[in-house]
Amino acid sequence: MEQVLAFALLGLGPGALYSGIALGVVLNYRGCGVINVAMGAIAALGAYVAYGLRTGGYLFLPPLPLVPAHVNFGGPVGVVPALVIAVLVCALTGLLLDVLVLRALRNASPLAKLMATLGLMLSIQAIILLRFGSSGQSAPDVLPNGPGDVVHLLGVTIPSDEFELAGIVAVAAFALVAIYRWTRFGLATRAASENETTAVLVGLPPARLSAMNTVLAASLAGALGVLVAPLTQLDSTTIPLAVVPALGAALLARFTSFGIAMVAGLGLGVIESLVTYLQSRPWFPTTHGAQLPGVADLLFFAIIVAAMYWRGGALPYRGSLVERRLPAVPKPVRLQRPAIVCAVLCITAFLLFTYDFRQAAINSLIGMLVCLSLVVITGFVGQISLLQVALGGVAAFAVSKLSMSAGIGFPLGPIFGVVIASLVGVAAAASALRVRGVNLAVVTLAGAVALQSFVFDNPTWGGGFTGSPVNPPHLFGVDLSTQASFPTGGGQLPSPVFGLVCTVAVIMAGLLVASVRRGRLGQQMLAVRSNESAAAAAGISVRNVKLLAFGLASALAGVAGSLYAYNFGSVTADRFGVVNALVFVSFAYVGGITSVTGAVLAGLGVTEGVFGHILEKWVGVPASYQLYVAGLLLMATLITLPEGIAGGRRPPPPIRAISRLIVGPGRARRTSAAVGATQGGATS
Amino acid sequence: MASPVLQLEGVSAGYDGATVIRDVELTVDPGEIVALLGANGAGKTTTLRVASRILRPISGTVRFEGEDVGRLAPHLLAQRGVAHVPEGRGVFFGLTVAEHFRLGYRGERLDLDHALSYFPALEALRDRRAGLLSGGEQQMLALARALARRPRLLLVDELSLGLAPVIVERLLPTVRRVAEETGAGVVLVEQHVQLALEIAHRGYVMSHGELVVERPVEELRRDRGLLIASYLGEGSAEPALQGVPGTGGRGG
Repeated sequence: MEQVLAFALLGLGPGALYSGIALGVVLNYRGCGVINVAMGAIAALGAYVAYGLRTGGYLFLPPLPLVPAHVNFGGPVGVVPALVIAVLVCALTGLLLDVLVLRALRNASPLAKLMATLGLMLSIQAIILLRFGSSGQSAPDVLPNGPGDVVHLLGVTIPSDEFELAGIVAVAAFALVAIYRWTRFGLATRAASENETTAVLVGLPPARLSAMNTVLAASLAGALGVLVAPLTQLDSTTIPLAVVPALGAALLARFTSFGIAMVAGLGLGVIESLVTYLQSRPWFPTTHGAQLPGVADLLFFAIIVAAMYWRGGALPYRGSLVERRLPAVPKPVRLQRPAIVCAVLCITAFLLFTYDFRQAAINSLIGMLVCLSLVVITGFVGQISLLQVALGGVAAFAVSKLSMSAGIGFPLGPIFGVVIASLVGVAAAASALRVRGVNLAVVTLAGAVALQSFVFDNPTWGGGFTGSPVNPPHLFGVDLSTQASFPTGGGQLPSPVFGLVCTVAVIMAGLLVASVRRGRLGQQMLAVRSNESAAAAAGISVRNVKLLAFGLASALAGVAGSLYAYNFGSVTADRFGVVNALVFVSFAYVGGITSVTGAVLAGLGVTEGVFGHILEKWVGVPASYQLYVAGLLLMATLITLPEGIAGGRRPPPPIRAISRLIVGPGRARRTSAAVGATQGGATS
Repeated sequence: MASPVLQLEGVSAGYDGATVIRDVELTVDPGEIVALLGANGAGKTTTLRVASRILRPISGTVRFEGEDVGRLAPHLLAQRGVAHVPEGRGVFFGLTVAEHFRLGYRGERLDLDHALSYFPALEALRDRRAGLLSGGEQQMLALARALARRPRLLLVDELSLGLAPVIVERLLPTVRRVAEETGAGVVLVEQHVQLALEIAHRGYVMSHGELVVERPVEELRRDRGLLIASYLGEGSAEPALQGVPGTGGRGG
């Protein structure tokens, strides 16, 4: 019993980090209606600034032209000044985020805002990697942590900093409650978050209120990052990804209540610690004699889903507007010509390209499939799912396991894989039918983390640390794999044959998505997207449409996952991890989340894709800088084109010129003709 | 005579590139109540939105107390003394009645007693959240909040929307009292034409985004046909009067 108590109390420290980040998230949401996924990264930024100052006496700066890498303070800096400087840096980051990015996106969809903060998160992670490497550091103590700094409680001895951290977040939460209830600033923020227009009419400055809240949130997260860093590992992912449980806590607090966010954050920390205790018991299931990975993440996901289901339908008012403010969904005019043109382009490319460009093109084609899946679920139905990449992983691991242990190869293996991915996707959708918009993003994010750490990292079901191998695909004795022999291509991997396989898959998927948009199902999806109640009133089964959409999107993700498996010959967990999931969604959004064209553009842009390869090979941007550049580009693109490159009503001229080349001329005239034709078809 | 509180000079405005109001000329003097009438979609609300600058005019000049405010940020214009009670309750549902009067921009002091002198009923509701008030109480709160700022220009949009006639008959005369006692200029957008004409000094009628009639209210009250014609569009006055006698019900 004492041990249980000891483990529970040892969870307070990490819980305080979740709490602090959750408070920052709630504060940022109430202040300017953004779900800031960079809050964890900001905490990590604070922790690293303090680390640099205290161990090396320098302040590191982001890689910018004409800016030095470090500012030296000539010797290690003390605890308090380091904390102050770290908080100031975080405050400045928050200010820049608000003034440069969020202000420009004030009228964009909540998804666009979320994506912009994702850009910040990626940039901060990249800066940490560039300045400190990927190995990880251990931060020096901030709170006293000597052998005497312990608390004896009911027979257990606990380091006192666990309690101090919990106390600090509790005080912070109560302070925030008091500020929001009694101060002029707090009242004004509450008023502005409820109705910005009315707030302006009574003379409140919404821009300044938003900036003040973002700065406060970033400072809070940064301070907690500095304080908690000694208890955890200091690297580019641990603290930034602490935002996932923190988002869960914020969701439980409906992005409104500071008290609930604080308690939920601490609670998740305690639960995580208790899971560690349970895993040390002999009766707890193991895998190959090792601990089951990811039990806590699975539990987090279950708690979030259960809570959302129990509270069903209670939505933060801002997030609930998401469906209405998504970009317009252009109707594809023709299918044949673009399909043929793209097929010819791809075939030519695979025949002519050198091996490195072939690999980049294959990566891009698979990326297009993932983005097509997002086009269906987010673009057409307005449901923000961050689960699609993980569903691809489900299919990939299914293909691998079926091929290695059951001897089921191509094409049955991928078919089973796609079916399994669809079933998991539909199951996730069924559990999330009462959750929509940005809330769904948080739930599916937790789901993606759970799938990654509980399933993919598991050495039996998933890839463990080494990865899970796959037998190469054969059909009627013809080798379709990346090693297949082919007259062109110089015999280097990957073989053009596999590129052609991917081409076929992408063109079929593109045609499928485009015809869904043109058909009856597409109309129903758009109806559900724009107004669920109105769609239901018009006789559309919102539930069925959503489930169908999830099924279709998951199947597309499954195809992508299967191709991934064959692409690398081995399936590893990190390819389908949560960071990659976020990166894919952001590329899909930047490309244009509502159209096949957008998915194609997004696919060209994905990491290790064609654009990335061109950047690396011809422009000379080293791979280590690509994440940094991608994060900055993501924010810049969102500011200039908040509806995505192909998502707006008027795409930029070069995109229009290219699409005219591929789709053919006379688009406007054709559109009205096509509308007339479908209307005629509907009435007959 | 002092300069007008509000002057719209050749103002055109709209949304997403579509023009809703065209070449609107409108003035409001201190202490004057102007009724802005017209059918649904005529552009009344858009006119008010331009006057409080939450909508930027496409062309034309908006003057507040003689000064061009077409480029001023809307919250700064509000701070100078423009109070706009928007359509559909300009209150914050999450805030209590008392909190509405503590809310304000930096340096602002709200005259709660002044507001309560017009709406003493709010005193008893101090600690209730605005979302829990009845529709009439919410409008009362919105109006009281606007009055507590001692505005020099008051823009009221469809105060009667969704309210029982008996409540409207209590609220609207308060607007007249405010104009007389504080010297504020008032623009009243109202579907309850008869009541609006009873308390206003002058009336404008809008139709399809343009001001078609501008008369003292006495004339508008007398000349029903003029009002109906402008509601239904030029030239249709006679058939409308003969064919649909009930149409006048809107005006009386």
